[in-house]
Amino acid sequence: MKFFRSVTEVFGYSPFKSLVQHAILCGRALGLLQKQFEAYRRCDFSSVERLRDEIDELESEADNIKEEIRMKLSRSLILPVDRHDLLEFLKVQDEIINNCEHVGHMLTFRRMKIKDKIMFEFDVLLAKIMECINEYEEMIAHFSSLLESSFDKKEIERAIEYVKTIEKIEHECDEIQIGLHTLLFNSEDLHPLDVHLMEVWVVYLGYIANSAARAADRFRIMILGR
Amino acid sequence: MDPTIIFALIVSFYVAWNIGANDAANSIATSYGSRALTLRQLVILCAILEFLGASLFGKNVVKTIAKGIVPIEILEPHLVVYGMIAALLSAGVWITIATYMHLPISTTHSIVGAVLGFGIAAASQGHLKVEMIKWSEIFRIMLSWLVSPIVGAILAFSVFLLIRYILFSKFGSKKVEGVFRYLQVFTACYVAFAHGSNDVANAVAPLAPIFGYSAAGYYEIPREILIFGGIGIAVGVATWGYRVIKMVGERITELTYTRGFSAEFATATTVLAASALGLPISTTHTLVGSVIGVGLAGGLASINLRVVYKIILSWFLTLPVAMFLSIGLYSIMVVFL
Repeated sequence: MKFFRSVTEVFGYSPFKSLVQHAILCGRALGLLQKQFEAYRRCDFSSVERLRDEIDELESEADNIKEEIRMKLSRSLILPVDRHDLLEFLKVQDEIINNCEHVGHMLTFRRMKIKDKIMFEFDVLLAKIMECINEYEEMIAHFSSLLESSFDKKEIERAIEYVKTIEKIEHECDEIQIGLHTLLFNSEDLHPLDVHLMEVWVVYLGYIANSAARAADRFRIMILGR
Repeated sequence: MDPTIIFALIVSFYVAWNIGANDAANSIATSYGSRALTLRQLVILCAILEFLGASLFGKNVVKTIAKGIVPIEILEPHLVVYGMIAALLSAGVWITIATYMHLPISTTHSIVGAVLGFGIAAASQGHLKVEMIKWSEIFRIMLSWLVSPIVGAILAFSVFLLIRYILFSKFGSKKVEGVFRYLQVFTACYVAFAHGSNDVANAVAPLAPIFGYSAAGYYEIPREILIFGGIGIAVGVATWGYRVIKMVGERITELTYTRGFSAEFATATTVLAASALGLPISTTHTLVGSVIGVGLAGGLASINLRVVYKIILSWFLTLPVAMFLSIGLYSIMVVFL
């Protein structure tokens, strides 16, 4: 209907739904990565490659969301949080899925038969990272309550509890990583290239949890720095 | 009845209809988002309260537009009739064009500009001296256009901040929202009443000198024209406004109960105060100011400040356009009738 004048124009673009959507993509990418490790264990390398492509797709979808937010977040908008804080937070959140993508690619670099003992440790690490990302997604989903209550003190406290939990889980990931590194570097029977590649996997898996923790920290800065 | 007067009545009714269809609907649409009332209930309530506001409280603003801008007592009565018809027609034409072009213009600014155009035309033809036009009153009106959105913003900001810091933190936002859902019925009525009281003048103020002329050369404001305008607005709400309410209400779901309450309460209070002072202001612009106020109080996910530039642009566009239209139409009437 063209024939009317309206007050609706005062309502600007709101990036918050897209931010939540972006976080959900990060979680889904990690889920695929877990499946990819599972396929690797079975030496089902065609599935490994297929899953890499699927993660790639999710990553590019996330990139589109990121670009959309950046494009639409003009300076003429008044948001309840600082624009710069929000963009910084988004940048770090985007690293979660970027790191998932990196690991996904690195799984296709070399075909190895990995010993169950080592694979088990990888599963433990992945499960821990999943726990971290789940907590992260819940924190982001909490955003709507924050907006609804106009950043009520209690809601902010609740959000900050999530950040603390995420940081705690990230620390636990670090410890599992140390264990894995020790295990890998003491496996004299393995081919050095195998050890090297798996070591890089461990490092980049760590980056996933790490970027979640850093994004959570940026989230805290954003909601406290209004 | 003189055909020119019948024509004036038709144009006046059209402007009133337009105000009801668009502006009245816009101002109460926030209450539709809450679904505290059904669309039908809201339309009926809005039509009744617009009518009451117009007929009971519309007189002061009518007086300002009819007698406060151009010193009509000095002019010959038939020139006043031409001038007012020219002003009405200009406002009607401009509102129609601007609505079609999606410009956020205000009927208030259109009619004020158009009446001023009539005054300037009369002055240029030597019926009146330029300094006799009530420039100080025009300045006061224009100042009120600037002040009213700011007052709306400050009021809405304060109301929402109070809700946030006293109610939200004490009872939690969910519970408070639930209560405010029903308070929106009250603000819907309040805003419709206030809107009727201020905006009816845009449609019927030019009729006042036509029907209110007394033999002693004095102009009164007959109550009948307020009722006439009130009916026009109510008809506008009922015949077209419901679509606007539905459309706007569905787009602004972000404005939750407490936020809608704050914005509507602030708008209605500002507009009603302006009506009491006889100041013709734009309800829509005041509402935009109020919504920005709620946003500044941290109540909204995103406010687009670009709308402010658009509104300012619409002031600069509406005044001259309505003025020149009115100058043209008045001159034609004086020459040919």
